[in-house]
Amino acid sequence: MTSSMFDRMLRIDLGAQRAELWDVPERVRAYIGGMGTGVRILYDEVDPTIDPLASANKIVLTVGPLTGTAAPMHAQSCIVTKSPLSGTILNSYAGGFLGPEIKFCGLDGIIFEGAAEAWSILLIDDDQVRFESATPILGATTEAAEAYVKETYGADYRTLSIGPAGENAVAMAGAFSETRAFGRGGAGAVFGSKRIKAIGVRGTHAVTPADPARFSELVAQNMDALRAARAEEFGLVGIFSQFGTGGGMPLVNGRGALPTMNHTYGSFEGAETIDGPYYESNFYTRRIACFGCPIHCGRVHKFNSMEGNELWGRGPEYETMFSFGSNLLNNDPQLLAEANRLTEHYGVDSLTTGVTIAWALEMAEAGKLDAPGLELKFGSPEAVLGLLELICKREGIGDLLANGPRHAALELGNDSLPSAMQVKNSGFAAWMPRRMKGTGLAYATSNRGACHKRAPIGAEIAGAMDMESYEGKAAVLIENQNVVNAIFTLISCRFHEFVTDHEQYPEFIAAATGQRVSWEELRTLGERIWNLEKLFNLKAGLTRADDMLPGKCFEPVLGKTSQSSVMEAEKFEAMLDEYYSLRGWDSEGVPTAEKLEALGIADDAR
Amino acid sequence: MGFDIDVGSCTECKRCMIACSLAKSGSVRMQSARIEIVPNWPEVPEIRVCRFEDCEGHPCVDVCPVTAITESEGMVLIDAEACIGCSACVRVCPYHAIRMDDGKAWKCDLCGGDPACVKECVTEALKHREVGA
Repeated sequence: MTSSMFDRMLRIDLGAQRAELWDVPERVRAYIGGMGTGVRILYDEVDPTIDPLASANKIVLTVGPLTGTAAPMHAQSCIVTKSPLSGTILNSYAGGFLGPEIKFCGLDGIIFEGAAEAWSILLIDDDQVRFESATPILGATTEAAEAYVKETYGADYRTLSIGPAGENAVAMAGAFSETRAFGRGGAGAVFGSKRIKAIGVRGTHAVTPADPARFSELVAQNMDALRAARAEEFGLVGIFSQFGTGGGMPLVNGRGALPTMNHTYGSFEGAETIDGPYYESNFYTRRIACFGCPIHCGRVHKFNSMEGNELWGRGPEYETMFSFGSNLLNNDPQLLAEANRLTEHYGVDSLTTGVTIAWALEMAEAGKLDAPGLELKFGSPEAVLGLLELICKREGIGDLLANGPRHAALELGNDSLPSAMQVKNSGFAAWMPRRMKGTGLAYATSNRGACHKRAPIGAEIAGAMDMESYEGKAAVLIENQNVVNAIFTLISCRFHEFVTDHEQYPEFIAAATGQRVSWEELRTLGERIWNLEKLFNLKAGLTRADDMLPGKCFEPVLGKTSQSSVMEAEKFEAMLDEYYSLRGWDSEGVPTAEKLEALGIADDAR
Repeated sequence: MGFDIDVGSCTECKRCMIACSLAKSGSVRMQSARIEIVPNWPEVPEIRVCRFEDCEGHPCVDVCPVTAITESEGMVLIDAEACIGCSACVRVCPYHAIRMDDGKAWKCDLCGGDPACVKECVTEALKHREVGA
């Protein structure tokens, strides 16, 4: 029988410059693909206590059963590794075209092991791997590295590259794949630690589902639903299609949940000149999509740099409109676009990098931090761009900030930690936890730190749940986390689930690979993965204290709409207790033997 | 027959290539598609497909040494059986619309008048032009 999965991955021993095909065992295949197979493999093969930048760490780059098929919104690939930012197990995603190309190589994933002796470029043609010297592009930007691979080795390679930040072991360095990035968690620094500067992937295989006729029917139904959602002017997916992810910013700002000036305010008066609709009407804009996606939330803009040069920029995305916009009191769309472009240039995650800069500016204004030659003030272009550059080059105070907000605050001391808006050293996303209590709990309990991808954002921001209430949030969040983990085995775009009936996912899997799994089983798989990640983190040394929000969350928010909103410490602790209890974990957040038994992973706790 | 193309609306999603590949080979394989989106980052991409009505003189027909390429009913077709894989047509096509795969030259045949790619293009960068339209 044909299948859209090849049941084999490529293992690349970077030290020995050798690759071999690995038949994926049933133990791993039971985790479907994407995040599931990635977590299972990393858990089995990597000691949780290692230094994430040691050669013993691995990078598991996976795709899922719908990758490279006609199913819309399944372009993403997933990286699972131990994060140098959070010290936790990491799952990080990028859309674009890399995932399908891995599948066209006849692979379900690539496992990078060990470390190369010299800086290298990896060229992967189907299951063949070639190592080339990266010396000519050392220090190059992510775009320059991408261009070099295409110009030197072939324009049809799909690429992944790191920039100076990844080479310099900046904790929030990303791995960039053309128009998209593995942003969260510092995967770029892990590639850097393995001396991999760039990768080219090019495949010739055909992807054929197990039941082509049924699969085509499902695709057609799904496309109809997406076309309808795309045409809804005020629906979330419709807004993303019209304006990119920044289209939702006016709504968040109106609800007083747009973190502003390092989370001092919950709304930003300057938001209207940095949101999606503003860019769409005031800048040359091109809409771009990931492989096979009819929503095309991606944007390319032309703008002028601070020096007046006309430049192209991909994005900014909504999260960056917060992290380099409202949160830094920056309402200048050109400055925001330039900062966003520089994050790609140097190869860092715009989210945690911006959050770290916001903390640095607050500390500077409080007289606790300075940088020679830079006036550190909120809204100052010199401060924003200057700190970004220092971080990526690890120069001056950038060397401190490059370790992430929590580590920087711990090193600075002087009561600076409560203002570092992070959990597990991973920066908050663009949603204010004091206003959105369930999202606050999501940040606190996320296995990868301050994650907004598995949070009750939709329910809270659209008003289905009272966003300020603590009631019932733990249960809803657990459902979000399990469901999102379930669809990340496929790997569905987060927005796909907004318009797709959950019951369709098992049908897609059955038609794609022949694997029979009910939605209930798939959701339980999501829970199993969540628990496996938790076990990894516990073994890595994390405790209940790591599931805590920073002190500033327990002080009132300023600002018109959000005036006096606060996370009450006792209520937060009660919500966390409730969360642990509903998860089947003890009061320290350790999964009970019964829970692990029920999930079939009791052996993994040993 | 042919296509009306508005390249500025193309999002480079490649659903056209996916649909073409499925229609022609039953699988998703980019090399099997007879339309190609070629990125020209960061500018708009190039959409490579037969532009019969816009194409002056149809040079592929004349260049084929074995007369495998013929004109009929407003389109140009390649007889795969007759094709010897010399790729002369690939070199001469002003629209880069002919691709070599598995030793044969392939091009769009408009799916016999109802192109699969057009239906998948949500931004209408690619539209079907009826005869004489």
